[in-house]
Amino acid sequence: MEMPRVSTSRTPYVLLALGVACLLTGSYFGLFVAPAEEYMGNVQRIMYVHVPTAWNWMLSVLFAFGCAVVFLFKNDMNWDARLEAGLEVGALMAFLLCCQGAIWAKPTWGVWWDWDPRLTSTAVLLFSLLGIVALRHFVDDPVKRAIWSAVATIVASIDLPIVYMSVKWWNSLHQQQSTPQTVSSQFHLPLRVNAFGVLFLMIGFLMLRSRIAAMRLQHELAAPPVLTGEEAGELA
Amino acid sequence: MNQGVVTGGWEFVWAAYSLTAAMFLIYGVSLFLRRKGAKHDQRH
Repeated sequence: MEMPRVSTSRTPYVLLALGVACLLTGSYFGLFVAPAEEYMGNVQRIMYVHVPTAWNWMLSVLFAFGCAVVFLFKNDMNWDARLEAGLEVGALMAFLLCCQGAIWAKPTWGVWWDWDPRLTSTAVLLFSLLGIVALRHFVDDPVKRAIWSAVATIVASIDLPIVYMSVKWWNSLHQQQSTPQTVSSQFHLPLRVNAFGVLFLMIGFLMLRSRIAAMRLQHELAAPPVLTGEEAGELA
Repeated sequence: MNQGVVTGGWEFVWAAYSLTAAMFLIYGVSLFLRRKGAKHDQRH
């Protein structure tokens, strides 16, 4: 079993600063420069935060899936620390995605929530991620915790292609995937800049969260102190 | 809603942007505090 290492590089802080700068720039263009959409009016401006969150959320779940697979093959606890980060950031972004979607749904669909295939499959994945995060808190043995959560992550990740394809497979209230090819060229700039902003923030969060998990794992996996004969006698 | 066109709606736009900023900010602060706590635990 490979012990986790804790990096001390400044890369995550640089990424967080870049992410904030991109989000501020992209949001400025999205809110004040880009024109309102013909039918949805100003409400469509929610797309500039909702769609980048959705793309990067999918990447975070894919990252967690990759970490789970690599951990099971290599038995390296560094990958368990990364998996823990991927699960938590994935759950955070799924929750944010559902909230942003609900805020967009109310003025356009007339309801905050609908049991539509896209929304339902996203909610299933959100609760699966929350369940695995909770499972990790209940298991004390770090090795069992790593194996069980890796297997659970792989099972939960089956839902990711369902989320992605749901708008194509079923008659969905949710619109088709928004990409630079499916939206007007006037909307490209804020969409792309915010997508990079959320990506940089997400990678920065993943790196910092992995370090916290690695520090805790180092502490848990450290060998117990060797007692001298006198100390052992006192304990007995 | 007026003849299939959504009118107004800025309050929903501000709500979505504010929520996004607040969640990223709160998570960032929580990571900073937890990192400090983990460093402290490692030393003791």
